Amino acid sequence: MDILGHLWMGLQVATTPYNLLVGVAGIILGIIVGVLPGLGGANGCAILIPVTFVMPPTAAVILLSSLYWGALYGGAITSILFNIPGEPWAVAVIFDGYPMAKKGKGGQALAASFFSHFVGGLFGAVLLTFFAPIVAEFSLRFGPPETFSVMILTFSALVGLGGKSPIKTLVAMCLGFAMAAVGIDIVSGQLRFTYGTTFLMGGFNFIVAVIGLFGLGEIFLTVEEGLKMEGVKAKLTLKDIAEVLRAMRKYWKTVIMGALVGVWMGFKPGGATPASFMAYGFAKAGSKEQEEFGKGHIAGVFAPEAAAHGAGTSAMLPMITLGIPGSPTAAVILGGLMIWGLQPGPMLFKDKPDFVWGLIASTWTGLFIGLVCVLAFAPAFAAVLRTPFAILMPIIVFVCAMGAYAVNNRMIDVWYMIIFGIIGYAFKKLEYSMAPMLLALVLGDMAEQTFRQGLIMSQGSGWIFFRPPIALPIMLGAAIIFIWPAVTAVRDRIRKGKAAVAKA
Amino acid sequence: MRKADIVTAAILLGIGLLILLDCIRLGVGWGMEGPRAGFWPFLMALGMVLGSVVILVQAVQRKGVAKSDKPFIPREAIKPVLQCAIPAAAMVVLTEFIGLYIAAGLYLAVYMRWIGRHSWVTVLILSIGIPAVSYIVFDKFFLIPMPEGRLKGLLGF
Repeated sequence: MDILGHLWMGLQVATTPYNLLVGVAGIILGIIVGVLPGLGGANGCAILIPVTFVMPPTAAVILLSSLYWGALYGGAITSILFNIPGEPWAVAVIFDGYPMAKKGKGGQALAASFFSHFVGGLFGAVLLTFFAPIVAEFSLRFGPPETFSVMILTFSALVGLGGKSPIKTLVAMCLGFAMAAVGIDIVSGQLRFTYGTTFLMGGFNFIVAVIGLFGLGEIFLTVEEGLKMEGVKAKLTLKDIAEVLRAMRKYWKTVIMGALVGVWMGFKPGGATPASFMAYGFAKAGSKEQEEFGKGHIAGVFAPEAAAHGAGTSAMLPMITLGIPGSPTAAVILGGLMIWGLQPGPMLFKDKPDFVWGLIASTWTGLFIGLVCVLAFAPAFAAVLRTPFAILMPIIVFVCAMGAYAVNNRMIDVWYMIIFGIIGYAFKKLEYSMAPMLLALVLGDMAEQTFRQGLIMSQGSGWIFFRPPIALPIMLGAAIIFIWPAVTAVRDRIRKGKAAVAKA
Repeated sequence: MRKADIVTAAILLGIGLLILLDCIRLGVGWGMEGPRAGFWPFLMALGMVLGSVVILVQAVQRKGVAKSDKPFIPREAIKPVLQCAIPAAAMVVLTEFIGLYIAAGLYLAVYMRWIGRHSWVTVLILSIGIPAVSYIVFDKFFLIPMPEGRLKGLLGF
């Protein structure tokens, strides 16, 4: 009852005219950045952070989270109509969404995507509403060693689950942590890694890194591919919606499976992208009509889309309860919180209930507003993409530059943005994963501080990070996830060896 | 791709070594304040150095596949990527002198006309309109100042 009371209070916060207006603006901007390749939830939020300085924190977080919900909805439009993913998590929906659109069922594919987003988001919102207070309560018992162990879990999950080369992920992650350490060390007051220069003294701002890595880097990639925006045109009619709702009743298990996979993957750091692929794989494996997949099967749209939104929503849970973001966009919102002077974590629930519950309630309102917006205006948003690329591209670069400068009013940040853009381009091509690097840059200070505090508590013994009852199981879980790719690699090799023997 | 892989790993190795060096200056042991300032970055730099050595060795060993290897940038893509990167960098250089809004206007105009080959009317409307609207929204409405460049100071506005 307590939770429902809080949620009610949150809804009142989220539906004041000002906050509602901010929420709608956030969602519409979110859908637009979601539609555009090169701009996404993460750098959309990053660019908007300077704008939020003039807002009260609650409205600010509603703006950013609404942008995130909008981007989750919007990515699919590009995928389905243009055969290009607008967002990384909208890759899996291409497999069946684009064939549907080519068959003239684009409206149905869009409606199917939007409704499964809604269901996935609903699961995420339920989890966030009812589970976040419990996690927050529990994490009140965390000391520095426990927080550090959660951090280890986060990063071992990123190394273990993400990317093709775990070693490259590891190197990228270490680079992120090292960059976070540049500047003045708050404990000893020493200057670190500035090598006598003044411009390195301010350190690297991760918002600038986001804009460069995910914004400019993505644009370079898009330019290289010589993108031609030639999409399928589609109308979304009431008949399509009715058709999709009927199909949804038939495939309700697929939708719910997708949502559950998403919520599970998003809650721990793994992210929306693997969740959507996983859900697609499960849906295909469990279907009686397997050969229809890839040719425009509606269940192939339901599963990944429900998973993507479920994961995106539940990625907020570790962010507000532990201060550890589950996705790059959640990381940017976390950075926003720090800039607004709020310390994410369990105390936030006690000190700023209106902020926390306003944010949670905005996931609910955002779901409904987002659904209405995309259903009503999907073709209009798709039209944004028909703007010639030579007009769109320089505008995106200009907006990125404004965002990078405005974070700290430093010209050097605009240069860093360009450098990060080049790094992002190279890393993407060479398959270094950027999400771990970014999270390391965001969490670097916190990881280092908890690490040092833990060691001070134990007077130098590393065993404190394995102390029962909380840190030990977390560390064991981290170890299992970390060595998992090695285990599967060995297993595959043995299997292959056996197959080779069998052939001979 | 292999060459780029080697170069990138070598750069990362270099950065890692550079950080290790500074860590040793800062102290990696136990000090008055607990673990000293270089301790944590030392571990991270160590991770970078070891990891990039592995990547380097793996990439060098892939010698046999060099012929079927895809190039880092396809030959026909070099031009559009540079056409995108150089004007963007030029805009940042110009911003240092004439401020972001004027630099962005020039940048938009050059890109739309030179690469996009749009009509002069479109180019003029957009390259004046977009910075103007941004100026009103950011400088006037949200009170977020953008860089004005050194020229403004010189002219004495």
